[in-house]
Amino acid sequence: MQTRFDVIIIGSGAGGAPIAYTLVKAGKSVLILEKGPLFKPQYQNTNGLSDFKRDELISDGTEKRVQVPGVANYGEGFYSSHVEPDINDEPHVYRGADGQDRATIEGYTAQVVGGGTQLYGGVSLRFTPTDFQLQSFNAGRTDLKNDPDGDVQREARDWPISYDELEPYYTQAEELIGFNGTVDNQLKRFSKDNYQPPLEPNPISRYAKAGMEQLGRELNPIDPILPYRTPLAVITRDHPPSGRKVPTDPETLKTSYVNRYGCPLGAKSNTWVALLSPISDQPNFEIRANCIVTHLECDGARINRVMYRDPSGRQLSVEGNLVVVACSAIESIRLLKLSARFNSEFDQRINQNDLLGRYFLTHCFGGASALMPTRNDKSMALDADWATDCCATEDFLKNNGLWAGGAIYNNTSDQALPLSIGRNHGSQDLDTLWKGFIDDTRLAGQGLADFLDENIGRGLSVSFMANQVPQRNNRIELHPTISDKWNRPVAYIIKTWHRHDQYLMDTLAGMCGKILKYGGENNTGEFQFLFEGQGGIFNAENALARIANHILGGARFGTDPRDSVLDIHCRAWNFDNLYVTDGSFMPTSGGANPTLTIQANSFRVADELLKRL
Amino acid sequence: MAVQVLDPDPEYVLNHCTKYLARDNTDPRHNFGQFGSDDTRASIAESWRFPLIATYSDGTSSKSNYAVNQVTFVYQNRGVVSPISVGVIGTFATLYEPIPLRPIQFLGENTGYFALTVIVPKAEVHFYKYLVNNQYIIDPINPQRVTLDNNKTWSRFFTQFCTQPLSFEDWEYAILQRLVAHILPFRTREGQNFIDRYYNILDKQDKAALFPSAYRLDESVGATNYIDCILAREENHHLIDYKICISEINQVLRQRNPFIDPQDISVEMYAQLYNEMAANTVPGWDYSKYGRPRYFWELLRRHTFTGAFSHPKYGGNIGAAGWAYLAERYFDTATKTTLFNWQRAIESPLGINKDYHG
Ligand SMILES: Cc1cc2nc3c(=O)[nH]c(=O)nc-3n(C[C@H](O)[C@H](O)[C@H](O)COP(=O)(O)OP(=O)(O)OC[C@H]3O[C@@H](n4cnc5c(N)ncnc54)[C@H](O)[C@@H]3O)c2cc1C
Repeated sequence: MQTRFDVIIIGSGAGGAPIAYTLVKAGKSVLILEKGPLFKPQYQNTNGLSDFKRDELISDGTEKRVQVPGVANYGEGFYSSHVEPDINDEPHVYRGADGQDRATIEGYTAQVVGGGTQLYGGVSLRFTPTDFQLQSFNAGRTDLKNDPDGDVQREARDWPISYDELEPYYTQAEELIGFNGTVDNQLKRFSKDNYQPPLEPNPISRYAKAGMEQLGRELNPIDPILPYRTPLAVITRDHPPSGRKVPTDPETLKTSYVNRYGCPLGAKSNTWVALLSPISDQPNFEIRANCIVTHLECDGARINRVMYRDPSGRQLSVEGNLVVVACSAIESIRLLKLSARFNSEFDQRINQNDLLGRYFLTHCFGGASALMPTRNDKSMALDADWATDCCATEDFLKNNGLWAGGAIYNNTSDQALPLSIGRNHGSQDLDTLWKGFIDDTRLAGQGLADFLDENIGRGLSVSFMANQVPQRNNRIELHPTISDKWNRPVAYIIKTWHRHDQYLMDTLAGMCGKILKYGGENNTGEFQFLFEGQGGIFNAENALARIANHILGGARFGTDPRDSVLDIHCRAWNFDNLYVTDGSFMPTSGGANPTLTIQANSFRVADELLKRL
Repeated sequence: MAVQVLDPDPEYVLNHCTKYLARDNTDPRHNFGQFGSDDTRASIAESWRFPLIATYSDGTSSKSNYAVNQVTFVYQNRGVVSPISVGVIGTFATLYEPIPLRPIQFLGENTGYFALTVIVPKAEVHFYKYLVNNQYIIDPINPQRVTLDNNKTWSRFFTQFCTQPLSFEDWEYAILQRLVAHILPFRTREGQNFIDRYYNILDKQDKAALFPSAYRLDESVGATNYIDCILAREENHHLIDYKICISEINQVLRQRNPFIDPQDISVEMYAQLYNEMAANTVPGWDYSKYGRPRYFWELLRRHTFTGAFSHPKYGGNIGAAGWAYLAERYFDTATKTTLFNWQRAIESPLGINKDYHG
């Protein structure tokens, strides 16, 4: 068993895989330690089968009950995917509005080789240039709404890199990973268009497109900002960089078993099929699945040992010249904090300031939903068909007193399949699945038939994904009493929404509402257009838990060691060989879904690491 | 009976064991009421997954292997000393010849997991025991155990598309079927129409592929059968709710209608009972035995809906009748195409997707 490597990478998702790809290609010896299993697509298994299925009960399975000692939701039912951790074994705990602690599945992506990119919807937008410099953009402004204490100006940070510096890596990621979409109408500069052509949009999306066009004209009458096809991490043509092939008729990839489902065909560009499997036959690369890293040890400024459990739970260790932590932000912070508990030297170095875990971020998100005037076959969809940048322009932000903007896109695959219509009825988050359905007494016999009539093929939602104001007290800690199945303290999520976040969410939800109304009201059809509502996530009952699967910040990078946890290359300031490259490096969360940016940044860091090896 | 034995794939075994079985913490965090207080299975996550049941293909055609599952037995040595031999004996093979489980290695070292994969037809129920160092034991992980007529306890598993009774007596099943039928849309006129036609319009080949033998399509489209299956496995902790409440319902209905068997009582009386349960006020209900009929009502509705519309391998949605109902109901008459084309994504022979093998 090899125990020494040039580089050890912990976590095989968006933050880890690009580094492995670059370094293995350059001949360096790389080991990935991944907690989750290695589930391959059909074409990689000799029996032609995959552990990922088109099966609604695999994404949110049968009921289990919270049995974590001491939490306020003890005894409540929960449903999770086959590749999410078991909450009873490895809970995330958050502090609710009532001050009580609850166990949650929020704040996990997926635990499987490929991490969250196995389950993700694949919406793969670049951040806008403004997203990288929100401190400069907001300096001296007096028009910001709902920010009486000047928090935005105090807490916003520019990234130590600009859009232009990251742009070549966006291009590289787009080429190597494989996306479909269109460049036209995106408000970002592209040095190269690497998108594959998108598939035919689902017919229901025409309402979203029409609404986005009208909103674009309303906001910018002279030079309207029009929608574009959402870049999605699904290949629609054979993809030479990863050797993947698409079905004879790529349109058959539209199944609505996309968001929250691993792709049995390997057409979703998760980091396993796109980046790791292409290097998996290289002698200088090894991936150890089902191996959880428990802590890191250091000798002075060097991480000298990475301690992990093998698939049976046996404690083992490995050594690497460089160590990259990419466990997804909450778990990475937890790993670093646990390591600090074991070792005072580690403690002093990682906690050279008190920022580790602070400025934890997700996104401001929310949207609007409606029932459309016609019925369409929503079971034929990828995730999102149309997107618009019209709420990310500097004019829009200034006209609305907003500190930052966001992307807007329509969801196509939500409420497409029957079980999801039931379990998401009246609830959209992972902790309250089935609740709305269970409480709706009307749903039996004719009432159930009516419910299906109303919903199947008619629901359309439009979402926004926008920057959240960084707050020092939004943080990840180790929970004082609750431990996981290895008897290690679990992550404790403490966060609130800033008043400006609330204002921003109301504003953008209003824009989403307009899109649906413009798209739906002006069109006649078999049915009456029915607007169901709009809003930001801060309104949800469990708003403090909600993370949108976007787990960011907590170890921000910067140029000043007093003000950041990582340096510009994502190296922990007082360590020589410790890097953190999942979403935790972000000082602000960006006005779009984060994964492409995590991947691009990892390609950037990989180039830096190469210089050192 | 000769059973086909496959070399267990170590990667497959570890992929499906680590999350559930590897641990230090032995708190009973996975006991939702289905285990006694000192049962070791209470500390294992999703112990119902064992033995592991999965679709099978020999790599040539998953369609021609659609009639069988692969079943992977796992034994975990929790002691310091490794057992000299681990075998399994069961009704899926001959009962006199144990089949050895192989030690599973990781990076050349033993993991303490032993495994064996066999091919078993779908829709079957089997009993087995492990033989560890020549001693018979019931599977320490699998929660399914049954005591047979001769008073001997065995471990049990069932394969996909199972329609054999597992959790209920006939009379319980019959009442449950009435409740389930009340919830689903198939008792509406259009729904009944559909049920009457669906089975008849399928040709022989489709029927053979879609319907487990002995299944007659009824107004519950298999949702009752689904409930029977998940109460035997995934949601075994709710079996007790069903047992008590069906017995209560039996009592209540008998009181109200002494001359008719509860399963034959009118649709209107079931509707009344349903509404009373929703309101949590059921005259004649013994609240000291079960305090919240409304809770049972909630469970039943979630299970029924899930059973009618989840993949048929779970035992409901028989012959994909639930999906087919939606496909027929949501139809664009202008283009003559369905607006819920479930078959496009699903593996054949159930669906028509050529690339996805299930
Ligand atoms: C349902 C869903 C939909 C989503 N949709 C989108 C979308 O449309 N667009 C978008 O941009 N993003 C989306 N996301 C988010 C996306 O998945 C994440 O942003 C992305 O995966 C984060 O990358 P990461 O490297 O930070 O973490 P991950 O990709 O999650 O990788 C972390 C890996 O580390 C492993 N790990 C954790 N702890 C340890 C340990 N101690 N030892 C060893 N390994 C460990 C985990 O098992 C995991 O594989 C979605 C997520 C989900 C769950």
